[in-house]
Amino acid sequence: MIPQGEVTGLLTAWGKGDQNALNELMPIVYSELHRMARRAWSGQNQGNTLQPTALINEAYLKLAGAESASYQNRSHFFAVACTAMRQILVNHAKSRQTGKRGSGQFVLSLDDVQPAVNQEASEVVALHEALEKLQAIDDRKSKVVEMRYFGGLSIEETAEALGISVITVNRDWRLARTWLVREMSGNGS
Amino acid sequence: MNPQASWEEVEHLFHQAVDLPAQERQALLASASAPVRAEVESLLKADDKAFFAAPPVHLAADLVEHQPGALTAGQSVGKYEIESLITIGGMGEVYRAHDPSGTPVALKILRRHLVASPHAVDRFETEARAASALHHPNIVAVYESGDSPAGLFIAMEWVEGRTFRELMSAGAVEAAQAINWGTQAAGALAAAHAAGILHRDIKPENIMVRDDGVLKILDFGLARLAEPVRIEPNSVGASGTISGTLSGTLLYMSPEIFRGENARSASDVFSLGTLFYEMWTGKHPFAGETPLDVFEAIECRLVAAPSTLRDGIPHEIDALILRMLDRDSANRPSAHEACEVFSRFSERP
Repeated sequence: MIPQGEVTGLLTAWGKGDQNALNELMPIVYSELHRMARRAWSGQNQGNTLQPTALINEAYLKLAGAESASYQNRSHFFAVACTAMRQILVNHAKSRQTGKRGSGQFVLSLDDVQPAVNQEASEVVALHEALEKLQAIDDRKSKVVEMRYFGGLSIEETAEALGISVITVNRDWRLARTWLVREMSGNGS
Repeated sequence: MNPQASWEEVEHLFHQAVDLPAQERQALLASASAPVRAEVESLLKADDKAFFAAPPVHLAADLVEHQPGALTAGQSVGKYEIESLITIGGMGEVYRAHDPSGTPVALKILRRHLVASPHAVDRFETEARAASALHHPNIVAVYESGDSPAGLFIAMEWVEGRTFRELMSAGAVEAAQAINWGTQAAGALAAAHAAGILHRDIKPENIMVRDDGVLKILDFGLARLAEPVRIEPNSVGASGTISGTLSGTLLYMSPEIFRGENARSASDVFSLGTLFYEMWTGKHPFAGETPLDVFEAIECRLVAAPSTLRDGIPHEIDALILRMLDRDSANRPSAHEACEVFSRFSERP
């Protein structure tokens, strides 16, 4: 268990430009989100969808503490958490792609049909790769996509987390989407 | 991205153009420099609606619910105790387990959230019940199916042996052996058809031969759980033939299934005929370089009689296999008839 003060301290340090603080923060947030996601799901009815935003909020309250952290720290935390969500999903998607195997004895005949999850796994990996290219051209737009798609943040929450206007998020989101879809379809010039 | 088009210019023009009616958009684009215009036009063509419409919910659900091989020795699923993980698949896992009396079982677990539609789950439950009513020495017995916190499960007879895929890997099978296996496999299928149950996914991976020579057909009626088959153009193996999961799905599928018609008993007969052909000749009758080639072969290719590929195939068996592969399902023999032909040969000294 990570003491709350430590996370708050790291967030503040990162807010002041300390990149090492971010490096320390990321694994903490990553493992907490991962753990919470599993707990949130277990015991609930089938068909529920994972709510990344709810998880991130909960993780924030838990790790940083509601009162001790500043408004600015909260925004910073959301940025870290969305990156962590992206990593969690991309890592899982990759393990899905390589983890498929069938031994001689009992092969699941059901594997013949590509389940929705495998489809999404390859989409997420493709998006992740396209997003890395976008980041090289326009870092802010890649962050917007990370927060909207992987973190499940609303336009307003994204604006708050990045410290930019709602109008800018809307415009970035729109252009980034078309750029990424074109990139993924292999028609990039 | 075109190196000659500045990103700022592209961005600016994109936002100006994106909400304009077609005519005004054309006029605006015409006023831009060629590289910027080309870049923006290509972006405006991209349709981002489908991709970003929904977050990857299945993947997220999979992440938190499904830890491949999550069940460990000693854990219980229904009344069964897990011993070890046998295989992990896209929709679940198979474990070796045992019931309270110590009898080993193969426990197939299906993760509900990985199955594409709720309808498919219903069908799975119905068919698992139907399959459990089948009692035949050459059909893997389904003991029980049910629901558990780990997912839907099917407990079935544990079979120690080798699959047809492994047995045929060395090429054509010796005639006496092929006759014996043919009798057992066709007999099992005939019994299922008599009970009104289709297999729907006869292929070498679904037939095993125990070390004592008893053949067992696996997974009756359990296949075809999800939505229509997806054809992946990139799943062609280095060997030039279709590899991996696709081979099983496609290469043993009857033409009427390709056409989207409902499976019938003759569809199983076709699949078994394909397998017999391979068993006798060592060659697949519909092998192809790409999925499309296989489609075309199953729809159109003239199948050479097995006897043209191997000497000594009895005429009756030669003709039987060709009839099993008739494109018109009405012309195919029943599984019962196929079994009778093989058993006549197996009785001969």
